[in-house]
Amino acid sequence: MVSFILLAAGKGSRVEQKMPKQYVSIAGKPLLLHVLDKLTKIQEIDQLIICCELEYSGLIDTMIANHYPGLAYELIEGGATRQQSVWHGLQVCKNETVVIHEAARPFVRTKDFLRLIQDEMPNVIYGADIPFTVLKGKEFVEDVLKRDELVNVQLPQKFVTSRLKEAYKKALANKQEFTEDAGLFYTYCEAEKIKVLKGLQYNIKVTYPIDFLVGEVIYREYIVGREE
Amino acid sequence: MTTVIITGASRGIGRATAVKLSHCSQVDNMVLIATNYDGLLETQRQMSSGVHSELIVFDLSQLWNIDQMVQSIYDKYGSIDWLLNIAGYADPQLLLDTTIDNLSQTFTVNFFSMAILTKAVVKFMKLNEQSQIVNVASTAGSTPRPGWSAYAASKAAVINFSETLSEELAEYHIAVYCVSPGRTATDLRKRLAPEEDPTTIMQPEDVAYTIYTLLTDETQCLAGQDLIVRNKKM
Repeated sequence: MVSFILLAAGKGSRVEQKMPKQYVSIAGKPLLLHVLDKLTKIQEIDQLIICCELEYSGLIDTMIANHYPGLAYELIEGGATRQQSVWHGLQVCKNETVVIHEAARPFVRTKDFLRLIQDEMPNVIYGADIPFTVLKGKEFVEDVLKRDELVNVQLPQKFVTSRLKEAYKKALANKQEFTEDAGLFYTYCEAEKIKVLKGLQYNIKVTYPIDFLVGEVIYREYIVGREE
Repeated sequence: MTTVIITGASRGIGRATAVKLSHCSQVDNMVLIATNYDGLLETQRQMSSGVHSELIVFDLSQLWNIDQMVQSIYDKYGSIDWLLNIAGYADPQLLLDTTIDNLSQTFTVNFFSMAILTKAVVKFMKLNEQSQIVNVASTAGSTPRPGWSAYAASKAAVINFSETLSEELAEYHIAVYCVSPGRTATDLRKRLAPEEDPTTIMQPEDVAYTIYTLLTDETQCLAGQDLIVRNKKM
């Protein structure tokens, strides 16, 4: 069975909304609900951990009571960073397999979760092709990166819980912050393979105001229109 | 197992639909809801005995009790697959003659009860692979007719509600149909137009046939639209 950490503690400062983005709607539905809709029918998930700011716990309780009565879940206080939020969630994981996803990626599908969970490899992520050129540097160009050797890292991701916790302890000891978990896991569990499943361009991370506009189209044409 | 809820099943379009659907091989359980027990019993008598049916005497204007009723149906049958909102009310009044009670009763039966019942049922429909909802509105909801403002406005609400829900629930594979019959030879119509020869207008069975066709049409191409049903033979 699987423990599922759903990250919903982001402040969403870049989307210029009064509410954190996970509570802002696309197609009339908060991003958090978009994700929960895809989770609730998955039999393999027997522990749902939602990392959030506790001031929004009442809102989440109401959402779940209205939309998924009877759903078992645990609310865990998020940390100051994404990495700390995952760390908090890992403390209560009861299963040896953990799947991590974030509310800001609402266009994941049930079958994407299932494919990840049912993959025979223990550590698996999604990654999409990079369709644009990537150069190294800020003020000046310092290097040319080969995009066909790179991957646009996506969530959801699956790991062996105990190994991920070990990696986290080392990262914490080194005071090293990562923006997602595959990088952290790779850095501190080098002997472990991380399999990359082909991700889709639709699985965007809602980050900027324009993503809400793009999201309306993705929802209408992809989630409702074409999902099998 | 397909379980169907039909409101307004004691007469008119509700009864005709219940009778028609009782012959549908896809249907296993039919829960018939109305305030009139004798009418429900007569509907059940006309239905095929091949389907399991349950009669529930319930006043849908008791909005606060709808959730509990739906929960008990779900607990008993394990799923709710089709919901047919057919119950209706009309007491047409000119604007200056109408009352708060008349407006309130018209909207409560025609819209609020339908909306609350739908909300209660959709909670369970989301657990299904496929579900269907049929809301019976009226041509009055899209065409003006003096003296019918409350009824027309309530049916316009049903039409817009249906169109909106069709979009909102598509992700859960819940198809929402809106059927708007024209003049139909129901008891209600007889009371409102006593001089009219009921044989010259559309029969409840004609509307029932349309609903049956929608529910058994696998393409679901007509979901989310205001479907006008008129008898062109007249």
